[in-house]
Amino acid sequence: MNAREMSRNIRRVAMIPAVGFALLCVFLGYWQVYKAPELRADEYNTRARDRLAKIEPGRVLDSGGAPLLGTSREGGKWQRTYPEGESVCHITGYNDRSGVQKSLRDALLGIGRYESPWAEFAEGPTRGNDVTLTVDLDAQEIGTRLLRGERGAVVALDARTGAVLALVSAPGYEPEGLVDSEWDFQMFQNDPGKPEIDRALQGVYPPGSVMKILTAAAVMDLGRVDRETEFECDGEYEIDGATITCPRAHGTVTLDEALQVSCNTTFARLGRYIAADEFVDYMNRFHLLGGADLPLPSSKGRVGDFTGANRDVLLAESLFGQGETLVTPLAIARMTLAIAHGGTVLAPYLVERISAPSGASLYAAQPKELGQAVSAETAASVAGMMANVVEEGTGGVVALSGVDVAAKTGSAENPHGQAHSWFTAFAPADNPQVVVTVVVENAGAGSEAAGPIVRQMLVYLLGNTGAI
Amino acid sequence: MTVIRHSRRTELLLLLFAALIVGVGGVLVCLGMDLPLVQAARGLGVVGAIMAAAMMLDLADPRRDRWLLPIVAVLAGLGFLMLWQLDGRQASRQLVWMVAGSGVMVAVYYLIEDVRDLARLKYTSGLLALALVGVTLAFGVEKGGARLWLDVGGLISFQPTELVKVLMCVFLAGYIAERQELLREDTRKVAGFQMPRLRHIAPLMLMVIFALAIFVGQRDLGAAVLFFGLFVAMTYMATGRKAYSVIALVFFAGGAAAAYMTFPHVATRVDMWLNPWSEPVDRGYQILQGLFALAEGGLVGTGFATGGGATIPAATTDLIFAVWAQQLGLAGAVAMVLLFALAAHRSFSIAWQATDSFGALLAAGLAVVFSLQALVIIGGVTKLIPLTGITLPFVSYGGTSVIVNFIALALLMAVSRDCMPARARDGGER
Repeated sequence: MNAREMSRNIRRVAMIPAVGFALLCVFLGYWQVYKAPELRADEYNTRARDRLAKIEPGRVLDSGGAPLLGTSREGGKWQRTYPEGESVCHITGYNDRSGVQKSLRDALLGIGRYESPWAEFAEGPTRGNDVTLTVDLDAQEIGTRLLRGERGAVVALDARTGAVLALVSAPGYEPEGLVDSEWDFQMFQNDPGKPEIDRALQGVYPPGSVMKILTAAAVMDLGRVDRETEFECDGEYEIDGATITCPRAHGTVTLDEALQVSCNTTFARLGRYIAADEFVDYMNRFHLLGGADLPLPSSKGRVGDFTGANRDVLLAESLFGQGETLVTPLAIARMTLAIAHGGTVLAPYLVERISAPSGASLYAAQPKELGQAVSAETAASVAGMMANVVEEGTGGVVALSGVDVAAKTGSAENPHGQAHSWFTAFAPADNPQVVVTVVVENAGAGSEAAGPIVRQMLVYLLGNTGAI
Repeated sequence: MTVIRHSRRTELLLLLFAALIVGVGGVLVCLGMDLPLVQAARGLGVVGAIMAAAMMLDLADPRRDRWLLPIVAVLAGLGFLMLWQLDGRQASRQLVWMVAGSGVMVAVYYLIEDVRDLARLKYTSGLLALALVGVTLAFGVEKGGARLWLDVGGLISFQPTELVKVLMCVFLAGYIAERQELLREDTRKVAGFQMPRLRHIAPLMLMVIFALAIFVGQRDLGAAVLFFGLFVAMTYMATGRKAYSVIALVFFAGGAAAAYMTFPHVATRVDMWLNPWSEPVDRGYQILQGLFALAEGGLVGTGFATGGGATIPAATTDLIFAVWAQQLGLAGAVAMVLLFALAAHRSFSIAWQATDSFGALLAAGLAVVFSLQALVIIGGVTKLIPLTGITLPFVSYGGTSVIVNFIALALLMAVSRDCMPARARDGGER
């Protein structure tokens, strides 16, 4: 080999480090410019702490502009104030590691992806962005008042967009100064009423008879049963050695009437018309088991395992909301919304917009469809049946003058005592504007505890929209 | 001679420019640390030592490379200023090492009458390298999980593996240059590849495997990677046979997989490279702190001498580049990478201009070691590859590292002196 050849080989080898050094520059740019805002906001980045204390956090406002979270300056550091206290406690949280203060931190402080990589030329952000939520402070206060002394949750959604109008969980707590005293905070965390849990999003309950909305929608959407299909109820239905009962024999009922009187045996019998996997498929289409996908912690639902020896019994029970099904109040509200919205599932959302200190809009919510759960025809039929529940059936407690309401009651049997009281409704029935779902733990029949709360919420919210 | 005088002036101007950069940096450090401005002269000590060395090299023989010393002067000067801010005691020691290193460079340059003679010392170098590794393994002291340090009489501790890098360059260059034709031509076709006969390659492979095993045993992964890269590059440059590189890469992949499965500390490095956020305050701490420092720096940095090394582990050694990038931002970080790229380019170009096989391979080997070292540690800091502890040449704190890098520099200078085409035409001294 001559020197020329070796010289050529050396030049070739020298290319490799050259490429390496070029790659290093690319990676440096990636971390130092492109990824820098995210890294500067990283929760393990201790060097960011001092800088964050100098930023005035943005406010959190309700849909009408009332502050839910304010700021005050003490000893050169910015601190949070909680002007509305308990009525929005689960939304605001009690420190920067809970509620929207945690999930919307980057927006509120103007850091992370809300920080411009070029912002460092000026000293970085000094004031965060204001976040406007979709919730209505008055609705929060009404819900909080109505649930006082109970354990439960209120969810109200805008039936046209999916915006969350109210999200109340009881018991609540007073967030101001909660973490100032170690003792108080310990008491709070060990409280048997579990006030820290947001029952609207994190509470999982058997759905009881509100599940019949989904079951009816599923069997009708499959085209196997219609509103007029007749069933025979003699108060008892035996399946695989298990007995499903109604409080009384309803006699011959159509599916429409069965929903009105909430006939368990009829819905259990629908197990002959729908297979377990089809039923689960419809649950998923309605996003009944999904999380809330809101900037707050939420739970997922659960459904029984339909592969065991007792699968027929389990399916029959699940069809009227017992069995091993567990759902969150928000998921029931989202399902109700889908019926009200022509079978289309809308994604609930909590953040209406984010505005920079200059007033410039950084984010504006857009309603988002998650898919079609059932056909518009099916949804219209179920909506009509739910209107009949209020007009002629168990939901009479929410009947309002001048506006038709569609609803379904539920009393969910559970191992913790009296049944959970469920009520889910939308109104007006012919032109839905709001959805309200309420659960009250261990409070009996749906029409007794949850129904009156739904009624009051509807009156307030429909007054707001101008429907009443 | 005019050409020489001209290039001599260029070097002097560049060294003065280096002095200007380091001088201004020193003033900034004094301002940042509330020190009297006179002390800024300390930074100039590094550049001054290299400048004096440059003049002394010329007394022996002025026909040499004129670009490496100014680049090294900037790197060493800035490295010293970083250390000064981070750890005054280490900085003072580093200054001593820098001056001593410059002296060693001059001494080596003088001692080697013709660098081609070093080829005769190939086996001595190889055995010495193995002996050093062996001694370290037997009597070494563990620091930071790796057994790299040798304490002599409880007074001086040094890192023999640093020296091993240069010794291995000499050995490999000597051995391969001598058997170049055999390695290249006396081959057999095995599975579609031209393979050398075992008797030519076996001592080489044995040496490499032994050294690699010892490096892995010492938990000095950076050195193992470095050494492997050196071996692959050297055989390719000498033979032009891609088959060797392919085989070596297969070996490397296999070895890496085996190391990942066998050694928990290797698995840690790889896991934390893939996802440092999985253990952010524990095993992923170091890499995350490095990334946070990069992000804090942004485009133009927080400013020179504004601190920020406190939360970074090994800020004066392995992660010194992260501190630099925090203070000088992307602009400063890219500038330093370019300095390393320039230095690597100069070293390689000495190699490809050399007319002598041994000289060319020696220079190329030193260039490979130098570039790989910078690539491995900066690549580790930027999460391009897993982070392994290795010094950033001339910048990181470390006496052995500084001295050895100056020896390598002396060898490069000697190759540029003894193996250039003009000198070859003179007939050489052989």
